[in-house]
Amino acid sequence: MAAGSGRGLACLTMGPTSRETWAQRLGTFRASPSAFMAGPEGEDLGRHLLSDLRSEKLSEPTKISLLALSLEYPAQLWPDAPAAEAAATSLLDTLVLLPPRPSALRRPLLLAATTALAAGGALGPTSGASRRLLPLLLGLASGRDLGRSFGPASEQRTLQATAWECLRELESCKPGLLGGCLGLLRGLLGQEGAVQPLSLLLALALRNALVIQARARAGLQGLLVAGDWPTEGGPWNWMLAEEGDAHLQPQAPSWPAAEEGECRLATLELSPEEARELRAAVAQLLDASYLLTPVAQAQLLWLLGWALRGLRGQPPVLFKPQLVRLLGTAQLTLLHAVLALKAAFGEALFTAQDEALLLRRLTLAAQHPALPLPARLFYLHCLLNFPENWPLGPAGEEAAPLLLGSQLCRGLLPSLLHDPTALLARLHLLCLLCVEDEEKEEKGQDQSPRRYLEELLAGLRQRAALDGGPRALATLCFQASYLVARCLAGQPVVLTPLTHGLAQLYRAQPALAPHFVDLLDRVGPELGEPLKVVLRQEVVSRPGRDEALRWHLQMLARVADGDAQSATLGFLQAAAARCTDWGLQQALLQVCRALLRAGVGGGLADLLQALARQLEDPDGRDHARLYYILLAHLEEPKLGVALGPSLAAPALASSLVAENQGFAAALMVQEAPAPIRLSVGPHRAKGPVPVLQLQVEVLEQVYSLELRFRVERQIYAPLGAVHVPCLCPGRPTRPLLLPLQPRRPAPSRLAVRALYTTPSGLTCHARLPPLLVNFADLFLPFPQPPEGAELGFFEELWDSCLPKGTESRLWCPLGPHGLEALVSRHLEPFVVVAQPPTSYLIAIRLPPDSRLLLRLEAAQADGVPVALRTDDWAVLPLVGDCLRGLSVAG
Amino acid sequence: MAQRAVWLISHEPGTPLCGTVRFSRRYPTVEKRAKVFNGASYVPVPEDGPFLKALLFELRLSDDDKDFSESRDSCSHINKTSIYALLIGGEELWPVIAFMKNGMIYACVPLVEQTLFPRPPLISISGISQGFELLFGVQGFLYSGQKNDSELNTKLSQLPDLLLQTCPFGTLLDANLENSLDSINFASVTHPQKQPTWKAGTYKGKPQVSISITEKVKSMQYDKQDIADTWQVIGVVTCKCDLEGSMPNVTISLSLPTNGSPLQDILVHPCVTSLDSAILTSSSIDAADDSAFSGPYKFPLTPPLESFNLCYYTSQVPVPPILGFYQVKEEEVQLKITVNLKLHESVKNSFEFCEARIPFYNRGPVTHVEHKVSFGQLEVFREKSLLIWIIGQKFPKSLEISLSGTVTFGAKSHEKQPFDQICIGGTAYLKLHFRILDYTLTGCYADQHSVQVFASGKPKISTYRKLISSDYYIWNSKAPAPVTYGSLLL
Repeated sequence: MAAGSGRGLACLTMGPTSRETWAQRLGTFRASPSAFMAGPEGEDLGRHLLSDLRSEKLSEPTKISLLALSLEYPAQLWPDAPAAEAAATSLLDTLVLLPPRPSALRRPLLLAATTALAAGGALGPTSGASRRLLPLLLGLASGRDLGRSFGPASEQRTLQATAWECLRELESCKPGLLGGCLGLLRGLLGQEGAVQPLSLLLALALRNALVIQARARAGLQGLLVAGDWPTEGGPWNWMLAEEGDAHLQPQAPSWPAAEEGECRLATLELSPEEARELRAAVAQLLDASYLLTPVAQAQLLWLLGWALRGLRGQPPVLFKPQLVRLLGTAQLTLLHAVLALKAAFGEALFTAQDEALLLRRLTLAAQHPALPLPARLFYLHCLLNFPENWPLGPAGEEAAPLLLGSQLCRGLLPSLLHDPTALLARLHLLCLLCVEDEEKEEKGQDQSPRRYLEELLAGLRQRAALDGGPRALATLCFQASYLVARCLAGQPVVLTPLTHGLAQLYRAQPALAPHFVDLLDRVGPELGEPLKVVLRQEVVSRPGRDEALRWHLQMLARVADGDAQSATLGFLQAAAARCTDWGLQQALLQVCRALLRAGVGGGLADLLQALARQLEDPDGRDHARLYYILLAHLEEPKLGVALGPSLAAPALASSLVAENQGFAAALMVQEAPAPIRLSVGPHRAKGPVPVLQLQVEVLEQVYSLELRFRVERQIYAPLGAVHVPCLCPGRPTRPLLLPLQPRRPAPSRLAVRALYTTPSGLTCHARLPPLLVNFADLFLPFPQPPEGAELGFFEELWDSCLPKGTESRLWCPLGPHGLEALVSRHLEPFVVVAQPPTSYLIAIRLPPDSRLLLRLEAAQADGVPVALRTDDWAVLPLVGDCLRGLSVAG
Repeated sequence: MAQRAVWLISHEPGTPLCGTVRFSRRYPTVEKRAKVFNGASYVPVPEDGPFLKALLFELRLSDDDKDFSESRDSCSHINKTSIYALLIGGEELWPVIAFMKNGMIYACVPLVEQTLFPRPPLISISGISQGFELLFGVQGFLYSGQKNDSELNTKLSQLPDLLLQTCPFGTLLDANLENSLDSINFASVTHPQKQPTWKAGTYKGKPQVSISITEKVKSMQYDKQDIADTWQVIGVVTCKCDLEGSMPNVTISLSLPTNGSPLQDILVHPCVTSLDSAILTSSSIDAADDSAFSGPYKFPLTPPLESFNLCYYTSQVPVPPILGFYQVKEEEVQLKITVNLKLHESVKNSFEFCEARIPFYNRGPVTHVEHKVSFGQLEVFREKSLLIWIIGQKFPKSLEISLSGTVTFGAKSHEKQPFDQICIGGTAYLKLHFRILDYTLTGCYADQHSVQVFASGKPKISTYRKLISSDYYIWNSKAPAPVTYGSLLL
């Protein structure tokens, strides 16, 4: 703080800025504070301002304009808490240094010091400026002699009121700050002086104290009984403020009753004595409320309503004497405050008759010709959000209160003479009545609200159709139509004439196409679907020779679909000849695009081909060609995705860029994680070639799956792709069969890639883990020899291996189940001669053209000697590994 | 209940920005609370430039309303109150109270003491009505007695100081800004005990009370079988009580003659201390019956120093003061018009002025008029496509007058001729303008016995009455005309 003053003094020595310079500087600052602060003068503005406040060369009005700036922009001048603290200190110093003659500076200085502390977040027990300001304010407010001259007596009253306001603002920003002064404030209220600021401060401090104490589960602890005055420099009771600090309290309850707050207050345990004191304090405030200005009365009621709501033993009947007086006034704030009480206390304060009376007063206020329109509109809002004692409808939705019958509403219905806002507000009410009207279905009565609604809408459409009328008229008509469609979606009897009326409007004024498109985008299918159909008819049934072609095309791009194809295409063909400029051609192509998406085929292809030849603009021709190619090459669902809105497109990109990005996303193959898992299933030894059985585990739904395989080192002939139309997770899948054509008999690895379409239509590509093909997976049996000739057949094969091939012997260890189990599990299909359990002759065909013959004879408990022959010596090491592997596998 | 910022913006169509910020005031301590209360949904109050632009766009007051703009013209962008959401820098500032009056836009942003998502209903926000009162107060101050631009500028220059008095921290203390102006002047007067805040000082001088009753009558006349004519009287009673003492008790009564029309929909000034329940419940909402309360209407009150509107009322008189019909027949470029007006015999036949204005919209300029009037004279304003039938101070003895004629129009040129969104095709109206002094249509009056003052000295009582026409339309009965729901209830 000392540093702050020091800097200020240093500045003083440089000489103050002149009045003109300040005026110009303040003007620039106000024009754009951010620009000013970023400029060269920004950094020192706060410091200069504080130092020049003490300059004797600047006039009071200039200084007041400096203070006014500090009242509005403290955050810019002193951006952090230490700076704010220093500024507040400097302002207080300036205040006490003022000579004792009358000065217009005292008041703004008090306000500025308060603002700097509160807005700068510096207010607190460790802040020296706070410790000076608070007792000073309290002393001024209570009219005590401060032991120091604060200007002449004539100024005291103004300063007193100002001090109260400063205290209230500080209490607002730091709830509980004045909790320790409640008793003192009460005492003062009974005496002479300014009733209003004191009442408001007391009500606020009382409410805050109640909430804080309730949270701490403490009582009022004698807070309402008078205590000692805090003195300047002396200790200030920060206890409540510290507790309240973390929870800035709404000064008015949010609506409907903030349950949480209510519960908290309900926990407040007041002793009978405390409850009596509290009631007395509230009654005292209410009794004097008549002396307050209407806006201040309203503030008091909101605060007290909030303070007493949910508090045990505090019946709201205290408010009752005020109500009749309040209900009679035309004052917006007062009626609003009564509604707040109604919401807070409901039946406890308003009987059914009271509620009806309040509703009537509200209704008449909402239509009273003597009140300003914004007030009437707000009353109408209140009427549709009226806090009923026993609401029937869902909370949070606008509805006509139960007691508000159509008789009461008669004066609140819309007419074409109303201004747009009033018309829409009243139209909403009319719609709500129509809902009820349908429920009641008053037959035989001609002038039902519904008929009136229809005429009103017709009038709005007639105005919207005016040539050269302002856009606001069109907007209003569509807003009204939207409102009706939303409120009365379930009433075809309303929507049908609306649909036809809108079609007529389009016929009269096609330039409203953007409004129609917007409406179609926003209404539900109840109006949207039939409207789409009639608008399409409206467009295509007319020869496209008028000026409105641009609008027709824009309209058609929104409403064209698979229906009425030939009429649509006919219209487009006729239009194509007249689409001479780029914009029209693009509009035409937009319609083609919409038709492509809708899956329109044949005729469209012809049209696109024609456009690709005939359009003048090369860009248009390119587009037409592109669409044609897409149409010719992509299937329908794919087309839909390709032409659908692109998620990748930034909002500002042109439609063409967006479109290209859409294509890029939709037509390019995307890299993706594998949607399936493949594994090699049990070996099936039959047929002319070895076939892998692939087991599929589906992770995501895929369409048009194509699996591509690549054989490592090309040991087998290239493999054909496997196609699967559709795979769904959780649905059983058949194994995929993959025939192999080995170029030599050897194990290998297959690299696998998957190409597929996602349910959203994107084409994706994924790499799957490689599949291992084991040596045993290549085994094939020889054709079965005739019965009885097996041994001879085997011996013949055995002999044929040599001399070209090779012979070997090896020891094959056996598991606990012996040889029989090993053979039956792994070699069964290849056995030619069997003498269980000890002897087997086995012949294996190894594609492309090798053979492997095994003699397993004289098995012992732990193993069997194997004699083997093959005509391909290269397989010998593989056989050893294979047999040992089989025996390990058991 | 506090405001975060207030603006006054003059609407200047045709200029690059279409408006200028004439006054703005921010409340940083309230802004700080807004940050805490609104939490993640907090949107700071913008600088004047961006605010001006966004507000004019939203209110359709910028000149670029030619093309469809989704953010403003979308059918789902519906405003049913004078409270808006402004899109500024990609964020939505809400709630912004704004309305325009006499080319000046009044705007403020009330503090919402909770999160803004989901948006709480307006009725639950105390700052809304406070914000309205602040703006109404500023408006009342700017236009009280103001006649020209330099007076407006003087008043605008007083505003910063006045708001420092009445709204130092964003919480409004008194919506009556004039009152604060007085209180600055009255500052030297010592406050006695229990002085109402809305009474800046005490009166010294001769006691006098003046009561003036002004009734406006509006009407919609169709001259059709299936549509009922409507008319309504709206009254305002203005008082000025110059009485000594800090809180003099006064009772003012309004009376009706035996055949008078009951006053309904009575709204009183907050200084009225209590109200008879018959006054509170007498309302136009109910179907009229003979049992309606017909006075005297007593208003006990403690008057403020300044002139104030004691009460507003409406009334349903049995007949409109002037009944008429208007017929327009289109014959190529000519219109044949016939007007007939009849003053009701019960109405005082002594006008300050009386005239019928007959405008022609959405047509070319008037090139030729042939006419015959049974009374008064007709003035023709060719460029404005307007006829004014000056009836004068009195209807003739028959109480019935008529006008017939043909009006010829030139070719329509879009820019110059008056446009109207109602008068499409044959739809047309004439509008009556008249004023009768010392007369009320309801019969409502105040006299020497109407004022009871519980204070020393008998005050001098002066009373005034007048009837003024307002929105008094007679529609062409040969074409469709805009109706209200009320006129369909036959």
